Amino acid sequence: MNENKPIRVLIAKIGCDIHERGPITLMTAFRDAGMEVIYTGRYATPERVVQTAMDEDVDIIALSDHTGSMPIIAESVMAELKKNDEMDIHVMAGGLILPSDIPALENMGVKGNYGPGTPLETIIKYTKSLVHPV
Amino acid sequence: MPKENVSLDRKFGHIVRTASQSHIELKPVYNSGDMNHLSYDNDIGDPGIYPYTRGIYPEMFRDRLWLKSFIVSYSTPEETNQAFREYIANGLTDLRILADLPTQCGIDPDHPAAWNSMMCGGVATYGIPTYERMLEGLPLENVVYEFAHMGISNFIYNYSMLVSIMENKGLDLNKLHGNGINDPIRAKLVYECPDFPTDIARRVYMDHIEYAVKKTPRWKPCVPNGVDPQQRGMDVPKELGGCLALATAMIQELKGRGITIDEYGPMVFALDAESDFFETIAKFRAARKMWAVIAKEKLGATHPKSMQLKIGIRTSGLSLQWQKPLNNAARVTLQILSCVLGGVNSIDASSIDEAIGLPSLEARVFNLDTQHIITHEANVPLVADPLGGSYFVEALTSRIEKETNQYLNEIEARGGIFECLESGYLHEVMEANRLKIQREKEEKKRLIVGVNAFQAEGEEGPVNKAIRDVAYRSPTIKDRENMVSEVIGFKAGRDRNAVKRTLKNIYMAAKSGENLNPPMIDAAKAGATIGEVVGIIRTGYGIPYDPFNQIQMPEMVKQIAGQGGNK
Repeated sequence: MNENKPIRVLIAKIGCDIHERGPITLMTAFRDAGMEVIYTGRYATPERVVQTAMDEDVDIIALSDHTGSMPIIAESVMAELKKNDEMDIHVMAGGLILPSDIPALENMGVKGNYGPGTPLETIIKYTKSLVHPV
Repeated sequence: MPKENVSLDRKFGHIVRTASQSHIELKPVYNSGDMNHLSYDNDIGDPGIYPYTRGIYPEMFRDRLWLKSFIVSYSTPEETNQAFREYIANGLTDLRILADLPTQCGIDPDHPAAWNSMMCGGVATYGIPTYERMLEGLPLENVVYEFAHMGISNFIYNYSMLVSIMENKGLDLNKLHGNGINDPIRAKLVYECPDFPTDIARRVYMDHIEYAVKKTPRWKPCVPNGVDPQQRGMDVPKELGGCLALATAMIQELKGRGITIDEYGPMVFALDAESDFFETIAKFRAARKMWAVIAKEKLGATHPKSMQLKIGIRTSGLSLQWQKPLNNAARVTLQILSCVLGGVNSIDASSIDEAIGLPSLEARVFNLDTQHIITHEANVPLVADPLGGSYFVEALTSRIEKETNQYLNEIEARGGIFECLESGYLHEVMEANRLKIQREKEEKKRLIVGVNAFQAEGEEGPVNKAIRDVAYRSPTIKDRENMVSEVIGFKAGRDRNAVKRTLKNIYMAAKSGENLNPPMIDAAKAGATIGEVVGIIRTGYGIPYDPFNQIQMPEMVKQIAGQGGNK
């Protein structure tokens, strides 16, 4: 992969979760770190998220949710990616994620799984390493 | 082996900023010169006397203590009912109701977009059965209820639910107390709420206000909300200015419907209590004064009561941190103290575990006890406005008033608050300040203990661990499936003709311009759901039934709208 090509990230919120401060803060931080970021806005569907990810040719889908429903949301996105044969798009998750939900998310192939208060540098460093493994 | 030498830095933990949270530059000392421009009678005045800077009651908390409030809304109506009972036993005096996120968006649990957030953040109050279970055995007369929802559809609908239940029980509607946020600026600016576009939201919110003022005089059907805009990025003058601008626009529009500000009575704002202690206190003082002046000078209030502003508080959830959650106890305590010193009327304090999940019972009892300690051990509320006359607090109050007035002038020059919403101006202002704060945190010009400064070293202690472990679980797939079945069963079991007839009346009112609230109450009684009433109003306006554009309108709505089927 071309190391000079900026990493492209789609930040997505699925369902009716209204908590937007996290994804917007992350959007700014990712851009500051030289990535190209698209944000779905709230109230998206798994179908729309995956379609946007394909149309925008992103490297990563970053799911944000603060309702405690991340396993349900992530499962629907992974299924949609599989359906479209787009399993090489990385999926990360962040927000209100209970420690007890992390094993299930990891089993699905969802990376990161960052809880509230994770330092932005940690997320950025990991995001870069996902696309450009050292 | 000799121990290492310790080096000590006298400057460790020193002050890093000289401005308040809203970037108001502060001097190291204030003196009488900072009050020269103020007149005691015109700008400050005794508590209970215009312009109410020092409070709306002559004896303030000796006369009546602030109401102690929580939003209580767990996944099921039964859990929520139980929690209300436990909090009431611990001193809750103001019952705030919320719903799960899909309901707040105006859709039912059987809508496909509901699944991912169903029963999250509250009860799926899709219709009257959930309401009856949630409020079973709780008093309805002479108790303060509040609606904290986001979508404008939710206020007229929830109000109709409460009224229906009271009427069904033969209770007195004059004894319905409380308020609903019903703020169309917040609904769009902060939440982009999908239920209604702003033009429809403006009609629905005014219909509800007009009806409620006439029908239930003790119910405040509009509470301009600064809490959520502030949490999303607005600074204090913008938070307060937004509330004042909406309240002014609302009262002016109400006048067009034949109701004066004197008939409307006192105004209520929902304001934020942030971590900046003195700025928060000064904001409450400035808010009361500014509303009094606007009500009297601009809106023609003649009765003292209609110049009064009551302030309901939600303490800042955003200020609470996931790291070292025990520290949140200090944050919340200071925020509550600022509310008491600022003379507010009700306090809904966030809980120390709120950055982790929905609050636990113990964290909330701690919250109520903090207020009891401030009252009975610290004796803080014995004297009204104890900071009145402080050089600094009076100067800061005056400074916030000045900056807020500048913002109000800007809004007016741009055509008013709704024009500023539609043009994107409000969003720009909010986002610019949010970004400024994010940068300050990154550059450590704004320190948050445990987050970007004074981080924990090594293993976390047992107290912090325990706070994190009590997080409330989100509903399982099974819980959600059961809810979907419940709704489908409820819809199938209703008197279909009664639902259709009442929905048709809403449809006709939407088209003709008649007030939407009376047919809404009939529809609530007949068992119409939130998704159906939102859909029928949208249909009446000629826009798609479903706010998410994912489902078809039900057969009976097609028939009502004359789009095929039997009339």
